[in-house]
Amino acid sequence: MNEIFRIHSTLGTFWWILLGVFFVIYIVLDGADLGAGVFSLLLNNENDRAAVMSSMAGTWDANETWLVVAGGVIFGAFPLVYGATFNYLMIPLMFALWGIISRAVAFEFHVLAKSSRKFWGFMFGFGSLIAALFAGIALGATLLGFSMTTGNAQGIQVANDPFVNTVPHFSGDALSFLSAFSVWTGIAALIAGGLAGTLYLCARFEQNDPIYLKAHKAATLFSFLALAAVVITLIWSYAIMPDAAKWTGSGWFGWLILLIAILISAYKMMTNHAAHRDFSALLWCGAIVVFMWGGMWATNFPYIIPQTWTISAGANPANDLAILTLFMTGFVPVMITYNIYQIWVFRKRITHLAGYESH
Amino acid sequence: MIIEDTLPVLLSRLDFAFITSMHILWTPVTIGMSWLLFFLEVAWLKTGNEHWYRLQRFFEKLFIVNFGAGVATGVTMEMAFGILYGPFSQAVGPFFGNILGFETITAFMYEAGFIGLMIFGWGKIGKGMHAFSTFNVALSSSLSAMWILVANGWMQSPTGIVLKNGLFQVTNWWTAIFNPNFNIGFPHMWIATVELSLFFFAAVSAWFILKNRHADLFTKLLKPTLLALIIITPLQIFIGDELGREVAHDQPTSLAAMEGHFHTYLPDGKPNTNWNLIAIPDVSAGKNLFSIQIPHVLSLLETHTWDGVVTGMDHFAPNDRPNVWVPFYAFRVMVAIGFFLFLMALWGNWLRLRGKLTAEHLRKNPLFLRLLVFSGFLPYLAVWTGWWTREIGRQPWVVYNLMRTWQGVSHMGVTAESFWLIGYIIFEFMVWGGAWYFFTRVIQKGPDMNSPVIGSSDQDAHSSGGGMAKPAFAKPTMNKQH
Repeated sequence: MNEIFRIHSTLGTFWWILLGVFFVIYIVLDGADLGAGVFSLLLNNENDRAAVMSSMAGTWDANETWLVVAGGVIFGAFPLVYGATFNYLMIPLMFALWGIISRAVAFEFHVLAKSSRKFWGFMFGFGSLIAALFAGIALGATLLGFSMTTGNAQGIQVANDPFVNTVPHFSGDALSFLSAFSVWTGIAALIAGGLAGTLYLCARFEQNDPIYLKAHKAATLFSFLALAAVVITLIWSYAIMPDAAKWTGSGWFGWLILLIAILISAYKMMTNHAAHRDFSALLWCGAIVVFMWGGMWATNFPYIIPQTWTISAGANPANDLAILTLFMTGFVPVMITYNIYQIWVFRKRITHLAGYESH
Repeated sequence: MIIEDTLPVLLSRLDFAFITSMHILWTPVTIGMSWLLFFLEVAWLKTGNEHWYRLQRFFEKLFIVNFGAGVATGVTMEMAFGILYGPFSQAVGPFFGNILGFETITAFMYEAGFIGLMIFGWGKIGKGMHAFSTFNVALSSSLSAMWILVANGWMQSPTGIVLKNGLFQVTNWWTAIFNPNFNIGFPHMWIATVELSLFFFAAVSAWFILKNRHADLFTKLLKPTLLALIIITPLQIFIGDELGREVAHDQPTSLAAMEGHFHTYLPDGKPNTNWNLIAIPDVSAGKNLFSIQIPHVLSLLETHTWDGVVTGMDHFAPNDRPNVWVPFYAFRVMVAIGFFLFLMALWGNWLRLRGKLTAEHLRKNPLFLRLLVFSGFLPYLAVWTGWWTREIGRQPWVVYNLMRTWQGVSHMGVTAESFWLIGYIIFEFMVWGGAWYFFTRVIQKGPDMNSPVIGSSDQDAHSSGGGMAKPAFAKPTMNKQH
């Protein structure tokens, strides 16, 4: 029996790491797209907004799909976490999904629209904003954990119900997700998205293009805001999250190195940005996300949802995890490869004139 | 009243039914039409005939409008299991969650990885690579349909699992994946997507021929479309019958509801072989208040014998019986559409055999064309009614005979559920209305016969756009429509 438990714990941890990787890829790629959408609200020319949209026309769908992959992996490897957490996050996910829907159809409709062009342009930007804000709120709410019971989720009691007193379900109410901290993480997500989005636009537009100039200025502002947001979030997390006590525990040296790595990346990002090495700046921004997400993932260990679900309690039985590993692991590098190819095809810088091209 | 019909549970069902019904409006075109676009592209590459290229690019525009809506509503689906049916997601996680995980990794992402290249890659990647991308979109969306049908088929006929500690733990992956319902349900759904897309082609073609715009071009498309339909439409009826027999075998309550079949035996002790053409069912009384019956047809349909026994509703406890109204009538609508579309395919090919499938002949007697335009809408209704039959027929179970629907519903109140429903009604109708508006815009504009064919020598000169700096990134599909 011990063997089985060991396999279970190993495979669970493997998928927990892979899940972290998928989330990071999603945040780096779609964070930039969403942020660019938010930034597009500041552009007052509909053709400029169209140019922002065409900068990501070939890749936004794949970028967004990393979220679906992360969702699929939670469902596939950690269904107990999936069922309870998504139930808890009903309201913020609902809004985020409405944002995602608005943005997705705006992409396809904006290029065809004439009289409704302004409306779909707004839906693109506003949808991006709502999606980023509520995804951030959902993340903050998740970090705070939630209450559970093993009774029937609807409170219906019958004799010999095989589904009670086994798996714990979410037991809070619809607004449990709402707290000062989760609202703050929503705002912080918007700031981070704004930074990633403007850095991304700098890397996508010709350096003498008016959109580039605007995005470049905005990115400088966002980088200072983001720095402040990171500091506030770290202090706040340390104050309220039990697992954050690790940071000053016996392993403090490791955490200090991580913090230094984040600060160096931030410095590199800002200097590269100032020197108009746009792609490098974008990559350093990605490095910050990787370090911060990795740090968050490590802080939560062995929990997948802090103080609520541990990796092993939330994972599928060993047999199912083994099947998932066997069949799906090989696809991960394939998936990453064709995504890189698609991004590479659409790598060239564009100008604001791309917005006219669509009509 | 069964628990599934009390307000919070009923609302959760409506919440899910609404987003699924709206999602299935888009996916059949994505799945079916991507194959048709691939064939058009191959026809162009093989024959060098520009007409296939023009048609491909035209239908691709409609495909794009449809695709965005499909993805947007599909992301919702992936999350909605956990949001609305959390305890269900947990209990079925070991199998169902894995299958959904398979779907996102091997299909959803696979499709997303090539859709950008397919739509915006024209002129940026080689022709061969482009055709390969279209092929990958087609294959991946079909794979997606396959995994979803594995998951849903398993809910209809759960095999290969054992219920332990509140979880459905898999004992045999092969029997769980290739569950009896999936083996026929997937072909039925996949063929439906192809049939729907072919009728989409046929209806749009008929409209252009009626309007006498590009009439010859669209007649050229109509011929192979109708030829494919003469194979697809009867095949679909045959597979549908097979699926009906499968349901009769594995899900007798659903079959009884579909056929309004309340009494297994007649009062004189003989098997009740009557098939109800129409009926006014009364579930609480356990009988039909009124019905038009044809003897022996039910036994012929479900057992392929003259008077085989078909299990009726009276065989099951009252709280195990599904609603009858919806499955009974939805099923009939679907079957009627299936036969009507078969007749349309016959008619079209008969016209062709007599040499009358030319734009000129067709316009002289426009009834065929008008009915063909009408037929473009019918497969959508058939897909809807088919799924309503399937899902409502399975009630009151979410996993047939193992987990009741109320056992799977999330912890949420009527307010949150109503909020979801109203919000999604607004957003999904925005998507639906927008998509249909832009479908009509694209169709009214018609195919672009002027811009240079991608890869041809005069393309570069043309796309510089009259003195404007040449954008490094263009949306080739939307080019030159000033």
